[in-house]
This record gives sequence, C-alpha cells and structure tokens, in this order.
Amino acid sequence: MNLYESFKIAISSIFANKLRSFLTMLGIIIGISSVITIVSIGQGGQKAITGEFEKIGVNIIEIKVDNNASLSKKDYFTLKDVNVIKSRIKEVQNAAPFFQQIGILKTEKAQKRALFMATNSDFNKIYKLDILYGRFLSEKDVLTKRPVLLIDNISAKKLFGYEDCVGKTVKIGNNEKMIRALIIGVYKNENGALAASFADNMPIFAYIPISVSEFIFDKTFNINQIEVLLENTKDSEAIANSIIRLLESIHHNKNKYKAENLVKQLDQVNRILSIFTAVIGAIAGISLIVGGIGVMNIMLVSVTERTKEIGIRKAIGARRRDILIQFLIESLIISLIGGIIGMMLGILAAYLIGSILNFAPKISISTILIAFLFSSAVGIFFGIYPANKASKLDPIEALRYE
Amino acid sequence: MIKLENIIKVYSTGKVEYTALKGINLEVKKGEYISIVGPSGSGKSTLMNILGCLDRPTEGKYYLKDVDISSLSDDELARIRNREIGFVFQAFNLLPRLTALENVELPLIYAGVPYSKRLKLAKESLEKVGLSDRFYHKPNELSGGQKQRVAIARAIVMNPSIIMADEPTGNLDTQSSIEVMKIFQALNEEGATIIMVTHEMDIAKHTKREIRIKDGCIIYDKSVENRIVY
Ligand SMILES: Nc1ncnc2c1ncn2[C@@H]1O[C@H](COP(=O)(O)OP(=O)(O)OP(=O)(O)O)[C@@H](O)[C@H]1O
Ligand SMILES: [Mg+2]
Repeated sequence: MNLYESFKIAISSIFANKLRSFLTMLGIIIGISSVITIVSIGQGGQKAITGEFEKIGVNIIEIKVDNNASLSKKDYFTLKDVNVIKSRIKEVQNAAPFFQQIGILKTEKAQKRALFMATNSDFNKIYKLDILYGRFLSEKDVLTKRPVLLIDNISAKKLFGYEDCVGKTVKIGNNEKMIRALIIGVYKNENGALAASFADNMPIFAYIPISVSEFIFDKTFNINQIEVLLENTKDSEAIANSIIRLLESIHHNKNKYKAENLVKQLDQVNRILSIFTAVIGAIAGISLIVGGIGVMNIMLVSVTERTKEIGIRKAIGARRRDILIQFLIESLIISLIGGIIGMMLGILAAYLIGSILNFAPKISISTILIAFLFSSAVGIFFGIYPANKASKLDPIEALRYE
Repeated sequence: MIKLENIIKVYSTGKVEYTALKGINLEVKKGEYISIVGPSGSGKSTLMNILGCLDRPTEGKYYLKDVDISSLSDDELARIRNREIGFVFQAFNLLPRLTALENVELPLIYAGVPYSKRLKLAKESLEKVGLSDRFYHKPNELSGGQKQRVAIARAIVMNPSIIMADEPTGNLDTQSSIEVMKIFQALNEEGATIIMVTHEMDIAKHTKREIRIKDGCIIYDKSVENRIVY
C-alpha cells in the first residue's frame, strides 16, 4: 500500500469524526498559536528596543580614564592618541577627544551655570546632533582656537527669548578667566522632557573647541575621554579592549582606562528579554504537550473504537506497517492541520497585540519552521504509541471485538 | 493444495487451558468444495481461522501450496491472506464507511494494485456476484444477502487459491442463502477451492465433501451424496 492510500484513509476517518477531530486539533492550535504569538511579540519587542538603542548609538564606545586609579599627568589622553586609534584600529570609523567642565556663561542680562563640552569637529560625525541653526565646530575652529560655541535650543530660548541666537556674543569661562565667544550654532536638546523638569536649575549645555577649553580651563584641562565610533556593533567589547591595550602601550601604563558601551547594556536587555520570551514560550510549549496528550488520547480511543476495522483490514491482507502508517498519518495530519491553523492564528494575534503595543512583531522563518516541526513531532510522538498498539492487534481477537 | 498434520490448538485463558483442536489431519485438493459441520463449540471456527492464516496452531504442521505456514512471519501471513485466501465471514465484516466498491477494492489496495486496474477488477468482481447496480451503496444501504455478496466479491477479487467461508449463510434468510450457494457453486465450477463451515445440513448438501467435527476431532469425512446442484 502506498502513502497516498494511507493519506486518503486518514483524511476520511478524520472527516468521519469532524467535531472530535477539531476538538483534538484545538489543543495543538492553542499550543502552537500561543508559542508563535509569544515568540513573535518577544522578538519584535527585542527588535524595537534594539532599534531605540541604535538610534542613540550602540556602536559608540567611550574610552575613559578611570578616576579610581591613581593618575598622573602622563596617563591622560592626547590628541595624537585619537589619531592613532583612528588609523591603527580598522574597525574604528571615527574618534573624537572629549573633556567636560562646569563653568559660567554670561549674557548682557544674565549669568548661568554651563557645562562646557570640549571636543573637535569629529564629535558630530559620531553623535550626529540635530543642528537647528548655524553649524557645528569646524576643524579650523579648533586649529585657530576660535572662541566659538554651540548651545542647546532650550537654553537659547531661556537666555534670549528665542532659539535662533546664532551670531550673539556671550562670555564664557570660570571665576578666574572669562573670554568673549561667538555662538555659531544651536542644536536640539534631545532631553526635552528632562530639561523641562530641571526648570531653571538646568545648566546650559555648550560645545566648545577643545583648544579653547585648554586655554580657558588650563588648570583642570585634560582629555579624559575619547569617543569612538565603530563600523558596526559586532565584537564591540573586543575592539574596546584592543583600543585600551593600544593606549596602554602608548602611555606605558596598566589598568588606568575603561570602556563604556551601550552594547553591553543592550546585550543585557536583550538577554533579559530572551529569557523572558523563552520562559513564557516554554510555558506555552507545555500547552502544546497537553495538546499532544489530547491527540494520543483520541488516537487511543480511535484505535479501540476501530478494533474491528483493524481486524478486517488485517484479515484481508493489511500488514502491521500498513496499520501503523494509517494511524500515524492520522495523528500527524491532525497535528499538522492544528499546527497550520495555530500558526495562522498566532501570527494574527501577534500582529493584533503588536498594533496595540505599537510595534511590529517579528515573524521569523525559524519560528514558523519550528512550529511546523514541533506540531509534526507532537503528532508522531504521541501518535506512535496508539498506532503501534493498533498494528499489534491480533486479527482474530480484533475481528471478534464488538 | 492444503495439508494439515496433527493440528492442535490450545486456548489458554489465564490458568485454564482448553484444547479446541485435538490433532486434525486433513488434505484438500484443488477444486474441492468442502463443508465442515459440527455442534457449536466443536472447533469449526478455530479450524477455519488456522486454515485462513488468521491464527497459528499450537502444534502440528500446516502446508499451503507446500509452504510451511508456521515458519512464516506475521507480514508474510498477511501477504498470504491477501493473495491466497479469500475469507467470507458470518457477520459480513464490511467497513461501514466505505461503499461496496471501496470495500471490494481493499484487498487490491493492500496488494498495491494501481487505481485504474483496481477499479476494473473490483467492478468485475461485483458484477460476478450480481451487484453491478450497487457499486456506490454503503453496507447499511444493502440487504443481508447483498452484504454477503459484497463480502464474497471482496474475497474473490484477488483471485485467491482458496475461499474460506465461516457460516456464510448464518445471518441470511433462505432465499439469500440459496443465492450465496449459487455463487459458490459457480465459483467452484470455475475452479475455485472452497471450504465452508455451516450449521445447516441442507447448506452442507450443496458441497461435494462433508467433514464433521466433534470436540476438536474429525469424526466423519465423506463425499456428499444427492448433492444439490442448481
Ligand atoms: N480466544 C479463545 N479463547 C479461549 N477459548 C476459545 C477461544 N476461541 C474459541 N474458544 C473455545 O474453543 C472452542 C471452539 O470454539 P469455536 O469458535 O471454534 O467453535 P465453533 O465450532 O465455531 O462453534 P460455533 O458453531 O458456535 O461457531 C469453544 O469451546 C470456545 O469456547
Ligand atoms: Mg464458529
């Protein structure tokens, strides 16, 4: 007997007991659909979070001088270090020096606290600030130590009453030294809500050329941070380590530098989400096993019910394997149809929930394949015992069964 | 064609053992038409099941076409049931969800006969038993006699060497019984070997050779005189 005949027999007996077959499938449907929904939502959520992280730059590493170490002047970074990193580490796309210092910013009317962030033109190739008016610091600004600055739009509005204050002159510095500086740009403060909550206590966030910072804050100035942009997010930890080793070899020191990277945090979030998805998915998977037990139960009932049929088939020449395959295919079909319906419902539910939670679920091929394989495996695993039982029936006893 | 040597069948239900056949010796030649009669519980069905390769003897040798049946595996027995033996039961034993035609097709399916050939053979077989107008009826849409004729069509569709019938008329009225006897006679005249168990003496009168069994032993084995022929 060929498989086609087995399929025909299996389909006809599934249809002969429509309601029962459907109820049996229901277990598989619920199992598969909940697994698919949960995994798709989980993976979709993960993707959405990764996307958020990437927007704020996961492929950026910050190399810092570790303040917990005992430091001497020679341990701090130099502009040359930045260039060496750029040229020697091929995964590095760009790098910029960074130093920040609290100081004072004065207009004709007001005096405010300001956080001066000193860097060069490469900084904006890394962080890509949203420049609303004017421009970012240029190479020339740094080279010629031009006293220029950018401030954020919220501070601009507070200081001048309007945002576009390019061309205004202010005084910047500290209690000891103040210089006149030209506002060349206004950038968008991305922490709008946060800034608002600071109210008036929020400092002005200003970018100034690193050379100007060295001049104003000559006593405290040092480059204690390098911003590094990687080509991609891969192996960021290893790259960070090789950058640190490079710097250590230049400065002949050890354990004075550390790297901070959002990827680490992203990995952590991803790990937690993966565990979460896996745990809930596994719980849903248990319902699949329950569904499988349902299949087995019904197949056992079916074998008992059809004992006479099995006897007749055997009496006219069905071999053991003919009967085995007939029942196995029946449970396989029930599980597979259940799996397909469950998959469709699962995808539907995932999109529904996704649209409520406002992100796209991720329906991966592997999820669908696994659902298929799993439902077939359930069908075969839980079908094999009843089918084997049927195939082993003694023809005489089966024929006598009423 | 068939040779039984000292066949013994012991049923053991739990601790109780019951010897249903106590050393049966029998030889059947091609083209014979045999009836087996005897009181209820004498072992007729037990013997038929062994002859039909549905069951194995506890002891003794059974040769079918010179093949020692006891040496065969379950699957080989299934093959013999499929090709060499056509079984007709008292209770018809048709599959209720299948049509008459599909029921007759079953042995062909297990023999791996392709669809178109299968259909042709099954139809021919049904025509032979006079049911050419009942191909697509399900068993519950047929009379007892018609059901038994479908069962006979199923039994002969593989063109077996031997037809085994265990009380084929047991559930039929006189008229239907006569029809079945007519079919058997025709099949026998075409060369089929038939062994039939029956309770009724006038049914046994249709056969050529009568065997009587009592308490698991053959007590009478003679050719039938004044045989009923249609
Ligand atoms: N599976 C079994 N287990 C135990 N004893 C059995 C079994 N099958 C038959 N027997 C016994 O073997 C004996 C012969 O049974 P069998 O069915 O061959 O009788 P029979 O001649 O066909 O009777 P009937 O004319 O009533 O059909 C009976 O006493 C019966 O109880
Ligand atoms: Mg009997």
